[in-house]
Formats: sequence, structure tokens, C-alpha cells
Amino acid sequence: MGLKVELAQIRSYLGDIQKNYEKHLEIIESSSADCVVFPELSLTGYILKDLTYEVYKDAEKATEKLAERVKKCAIFGTIKEIRRGILRNSAAVIINGKLNYVYKFYLPTYGLFEERRYFQRADPLSDLKIFEYNGFKFGVIICEDAWHPEPIEALSLMGADVIFIPSASPMRKLSDKLAIEDNWESLLKAHSLMNTVWTVFVNVVGSQEEEYFWGGSRVVSPLGEVKIKLRLFYEDRGVFEITENEIIRSRFFSSYRDHIREFHSILDKL
Amino acid sequence: MPDYIKKSLTIDCKAVTDYIIERLREYLEFSRKDGGIVGVSGGIDSAVTATLLAKATDNFFILLMPSSSTPKVDLEDSFTIVKMLKAENKYKLINIDEIVKLFGDNVETNDKLILGNIKARTRMILLYAYAQKLNYLVVGTGDKSELLLGYFTKYGDGGVDVLPIGDLYKTQVRMLGKCLGLPERIVTKPSSPALWEGQTAEGELGIDYETIDSILYLRFDEMRSENEISEMLGLPLDVIKRVDRLVKTSQHKRLPPEIFRLSGRAINSDWRFPRRWA
Repeated sequence: MGLKVELAQIRSYLGDIQKNYEKHLEIIESSSADCVVFPELSLTGYILKDLTYEVYKDAEKATEKLAERVKKCAIFGTIKEIRRGILRNSAAVIINGKLNYVYKFYLPTYGLFEERRYFQRADPLSDLKIFEYNGFKFGVIICEDAWHPEPIEALSLMGADVIFIPSASPMRKLSDKLAIEDNWESLLKAHSLMNTVWTVFVNVVGSQEEEYFWGGSRVVSPLGEVKIKLRLFYEDRGVFEITENEIIRSRFFSSYRDHIREFHSILDKL
Repeated sequence: MPDYIKKSLTIDCKAVTDYIIERLREYLEFSRKDGGIVGVSGGIDSAVTATLLAKATDNFFILLMPSSSTPKVDLEDSFTIVKMLKAENKYKLINIDEIVKLFGDNVETNDKLILGNIKARTRMILLYAYAQKLNYLVVGTGDKSELLLGYFTKYGDGGVDVLPIGDLYKTQVRMLGKCLGLPERIVTKPSSPALWEGQTAEGELGIDYETIDSILYLRFDEMRSENEISEMLGLPLDVIKRVDRLVKTSQHKRLPPEIFRLSGRAINSDWRFPRRWA
């Protein structure tokens, strides 16, 4: 028996918590999947700027309200105030009505991004979490964390079979092919192959300020195959059943379980 | 234009067209406007912008605002666009000479640059007045080459609500125009603001747009040094420097006016909100 995952590739309305809440609820309640996964900051919108400070309280309330409505499993993007005035870019992970949070480690501040202006980053020592549903262990990391090897590697070695990656990836360079889509697919395949896990990338779609989020959410198997791909540039939903066969097969023929710690003692000094 | 740059600047016309149309639709929806208005000059930028706008919504309106310095062919080409977009009931022709003369008389000047800018600003006023009447947005026609060079009038053709082709270089706009099926004459016509007789962008700058775009792309997209670009393109260093200087000295035209800080939370420097706030 597998884990049925729904990729909810939505267009979030910037700062309109109520409207976004309703869309989340509608998708969660109409889904046949075990686990519904939304993009990064899906409840609030991504390019919030100082609006962050005006919506985070409502976002937290809406997150709690939504959690009560989740009968199985859901993951969506929101903001969490972890102590007074300290906010984190978060993913709410709800299993059987129980609400948990995962926080983003790597907060981008290059190019158009300015996350560290608003958010505090997560701490690997306390914030790496493994969840379980329907016999599958999974971890959740947020967008930029997939551009570094460690978060997914750590979660995989901690026991995850599936990595969910709620994201807000804006479009760059729409020429003869979409460069950022190629980049992401390469990353997902590499993570899946190196760590023998399913990777589930769920991206925002539509415009927010100057930026346009390209969608193109997808699932990559531990054998490095793209199993389902949602539409580019438009809202879309897709269900895919994750199975254990590919996980086992990939692990039989991989050195993934062999982690040489000494690399990290070098990295630690760099 | 070297092959390397040509390749980098080649666009997937269908993808770019779909993208801009979708964004125009979203922008209209978010700004709660009923449609868009655009000034059509007979040049490639406004022809492409008007065509994309017409694809995005039936609610579009075109203003033709020629002056005595507008070449006859431009007005003819403007009418071609009106016909092509089946906009016979969605356009208005306004000759701006009288208005410009009034301004000029009151400023007591015959300076062609001052009068040229007055022309561009007069058009802006007319566009906004019609936009308000119709509850439409003013859709700008500036492209990336002109925006970077500062080759536009501040609060004139630069005074608009949105710039759908503002991230496409002139040569890319021409490519798009060709794909959109615009007449060859419009696609290949030398680009001109026509603020005075005989004015062409390339004439003023002394280099063609293919060269300008190559320099801009290498300098600002690829962040290469002036020396490297001069070597890559086989152009004298001072040409690259001239383009670089134009971009740098026109930065004020691309930004909102500077606000001198006094408070603890000054607008723009530490008070930053998205456009779509509500």
C-alpha cells in the first residue's frame, strides 16, 4: 500500500489570508489523497515585504483553524511567530488534526529575495523533524533548502522515505526553454538519487508583484524518474501514489547509507 | 550581433506571448480596472504592446496622438494596427500640435528638446484622462533597451501604470512583433521617438539597436566588464563606455523620486509594501 499525495499548485493572493484559507480548505476537503501538499507561504503569499508584519497573526490563526479541518495529512506554507516578534518562514504539518511546524533553514537574500529581512532561520540541532503517515516516514524542507545538500541528506539519514518541498520559485529567463525548471528538475533528481528518497516539489503559480511563479510541481522517484508533472504557469492539482518498491530497489544499489563524517569535520572549518 | 548573444536573446514567441497576456489579465484583475489603454505611434513597441493588450482583453482603447513631427508613414502604420486589431470603434485620433503650442508659448521656448518632452507629457495626460474616463489602466510601451538607456521622457512615455514588454530588448520586441504577424514595415522600421523631425534613436546614439542590445545584455545581464565587452564585440572601448554612462546617468528616471529621510520609517528605505496591498 502506498501513500497517496496530492500536489496543490495554487496561486496565492498576496496578504489575503481569508481568500487563501478558503482555497486551502476547499482543496483539502475535496481531496482523495492521504496527504495534500501546498507551496511555500501558500496561506500568505510570498512577496509580502512589510506586509509580513501585518498578516502573520491572522496567518497563525488561520493555520490553527485549518488544522482542525484536516482529517488525514496536509502540509502548507505559513508564518509562525516562535517568540514575541520573531517570525519564521514555516510549513504547517498536520497529521490527524495535530499541528506541527517545520522551519526554513536557508533564507535567500540574493537577487529578488529578501527573506532574512523578515524571518529567522531554523536551527538544524532542534528543527530537523521526521513525521510518519500511513507507514511512510517523511521530512519537509522549504524551497531554498533544496539548493543545499545537507537538509535533505540529514532527513533521509534520519529515516525519511519521502521529502516534501513546498516552494515559491519565481520564473527567470523565459527563452527557448525555462532555465529555472531545468535547474529544479536536476536538483530533485540529484537529491532523490543521492538520498534514495521520493522528492515532491510543489511550487506556487501566478504573479506576485513583478515576479511570476512558474508552477511545474512534480514528483521524482528514488530512481530519479519524474513521475508526475503539473502544468507550467497555471493552477493545477495532481494526485500520485508513492510506493515503497522504488525506495527499496534504489537502496539495494546505492551507497547512500554510508556517510563519512570526516567530510563534515572539514566542512565545519571552512 | 554575435551568435552567442543572438542565442541568448532568442525568445520562444508563443511562451512569451502567453506569459505577457496572462500577466496583463492578472494585472487588470488585481488593479480592479475594466481594461487598458495604449498610445499607438506606428512604431514596433506600441504595435506589439497594443496587439498583446488586445489579446488579453476585449476592453482596450487606442489613442493616436500625432504631431507635426510625426512622419506620415507612422500615422498610416498606426491605422494599420487599428485595423489589424479590429479597433475601428475603440480608438481616437487627437492631433496634439495645438496643446503643445500652448505649452510652448507659456514656457516661452522654441527649444526642440523641451518641446519634444512636452509632446511626450501631453500624450501622457491624454492617456490618463481617457483611462480615467473608461476606468482603464495606462499600458506603457517602453522596452528594456529604452528603459536602460533612459531613452524616454520622465513622466511622458515613462508615465504609465505597467510595462508589459519592459523586460524585452528592442531586438526581442522585433522578434515578437514578427511572430505576432505585424507588417514587415513596422517590424523593420528604425526606432524613433519622433519628438522632432528626423529624430531616430540609432541616429542619436550612433550605433544600431543590435549593437546596443549586445552591449546592454553583456554589461547588465551578464555583468561583464567594459574591456571584455569591447573585445567580444570588436567595438572601441569608448562606445561601450558611452552606453554604460547613459544607463548610469538615467537611473533617476527608473526610480520613484528620492525622499529625504527624517522619520524612523521613511517610505522606500524602510517602509516597503507590495503594490497589491489590499
